[in-house]
Amino acid sequence: MIEVQNLEKHYLVAEKEAGIKGSLQSFFKRQTKTVKAVDGVSFQIASGEMVGFLGANGAGKTTTLKMLSGLLHPSAGVARVAGFVPFERRSSFLKSITLIMGQKQQLMWDLPALDSFLVNQAIYEISDSDYQATMREFTELLELEGVLKKQVRKLSLGERMKCELAAALLHRPKVLFLDEPTIGLDVNMQVKIREFIREYNQRFNATVILTSHYMADVTALCKRIIVVDKGKIIFDGDFSGLLETASPIKIIGLQLERQLSATDLQSYGTLSSLEGLNATFRVARSEVSQRSAKMLSELPIADITIEDPPIEEIIGQLFSRAEVRA
Amino acid sequence: MIRKAKALFTAWLSHMTIYRAEIIIWMLAGMLPLIMMTVWIGKAQAEGGSTGGFSSSQFAAYFLAAWMSGQMTVAWVAWDMSFAVRQGTFSVKLLRPINPFWEYFMQHVTERFVRYPFVFLVVVVGVLLVPGTVLVKQLEHVVVYFFAIILAFIIRFLIAYCIGLACFWLENATALDELYFVLSIMLAGTFAPLEFYPAWLRGLLEYLPFPYIIYYPAQILTGQLDWTQMARVLAVQLLWVGVFFVVYQIMWRLGRKQYGAVGA
Repeated sequence: MIEVQNLEKHYLVAEKEAGIKGSLQSFFKRQTKTVKAVDGVSFQIASGEMVGFLGANGAGKTTTLKMLSGLLHPSAGVARVAGFVPFERRSSFLKSITLIMGQKQQLMWDLPALDSFLVNQAIYEISDSDYQATMREFTELLELEGVLKKQVRKLSLGERMKCELAAALLHRPKVLFLDEPTIGLDVNMQVKIREFIREYNQRFNATVILTSHYMADVTALCKRIIVVDKGKIIFDGDFSGLLETASPIKIIGLQLERQLSATDLQSYGTLSSLEGLNATFRVARSEVSQRSAKMLSELPIADITIEDPPIEEIIGQLFSRAEVRA
Repeated sequence: MIRKAKALFTAWLSHMTIYRAEIIIWMLAGMLPLIMMTVWIGKAQAEGGSTGGFSSSQFAAYFLAAWMSGQMTVAWVAWDMSFAVRQGTFSVKLLRPINPFWEYFMQHVTERFVRYPFVFLVVVVGVLLVPGTVLVKQLEHVVVYFFAIILAFIIRFLIAYCIGLACFWLENATALDELYFVLSIMLAGTFAPLEFYPAWLRGLLEYLPFPYIIYYPAQILTGQLDWTQMARVLAVQLLWVGVFFVVYQIMWRLGRKQYGAVGA
């Protein structure tokens, strides 16, 4: 469904020193430098797959999505989405994709969302019966009852995001580029949007690329993740592969029956925290079973947990490693 | 295409009617020809009834027609595009299976329907206030004016759209639009009928689009041109539409490669 080969995007960025002197220098002689926002990215995504696109700010995730949706002209390389070259902006291509960019709105601010939906119906050439059916489904899934006839500017952020999502998916696109779809929303609303995306993927076998700073979005929805750093892919695979590659440790959490000192616990692994009756250790993956057995037999334990480190930490380690290599 | 135009028209009409008061304020902001009308009428009266062959009522007819032409050809698309490109909302338009050109075009067309009743009212009041003013001599002139003003609007819109497209390179094209605005005030016939301009400038203006947006449509409505002259004006207007359409196409193709989709 999506094929990308050696995709690159370079920007010419103006640079200026701070202060009046810098402004004057820049006025007479502008300094520029070329920034490689995306630097030779290649991957393939099959129909119906949901892929998490991870990376720090400025890593090149959004630029890649913008090239895949036809907004940006690639500096080099090839991208094909649903059999189309995105930048050509063929009508059939635009009808088969959607790009949701955080809170960038396509709804008309002063009118009820329903008016914008009707415009989209005409622009995307959706038949009346399909429009009615989709609206019924979305109203139910996103709980839009009573929201659609209110002026958009009077909606809460969560209500507006749900309407934005409905407007962006009204034409039932086969490929979804979701760039921070839950940004700024409260936890309940994040869960609802996540559920909706999952449901949409299953019902329409849609291909989804998702970027999000909320790791819970990615872990809940995507089996495969692609990690980008400084415009290059530094990991492409499933979560378990990521854990093995980037995180050679596990975290053992203990709830003790009585207070122990750090000295008492030192010999069981790297003690990362000790607060009251709760202690956590960082232990090499290969030693987890041996160490935990030893703890269980020798320490007064009320409860024990063995977990992977938080995904944010794992990604962070991956970035540091990429930095060291560079 | 008709279905899309109808949907855009309906939505924009709802939007414009919400902002009808703002439209009237914008309309008042374009009162310069009416101010100039009072200046020229005063001059004519001071000089014994006419100046340069124009009587008070002829000045009134010309400036009312010029003002109406200005109102019917207003285009703010350059400003809108500049804003949309800098804020990243232009990306939202680019994702839809319709050229953004048509969305902006329909927005402007729809606005005319809300603006025109107020414009008509001001023109009627103007005609009544200056005794002897005959705005339209023959109904045929209204028909030709109708086509001339549509072509004038398309020229003005295409110029504004090309200025707007310049923000793919400049990121902010509002200064260019201001420059156009100043030139058009000076050269389109807003200050004075072109009969009062030096001969060399009048000759030069024939090769520029400005008089074909305000001066000539006003001349057509007030019955100052014969059929041959009216046909020439329409032909030249069509030529300008063609020229700016080609410029627009070239800028669109080249500019899109420059678009940085920033702000999103």
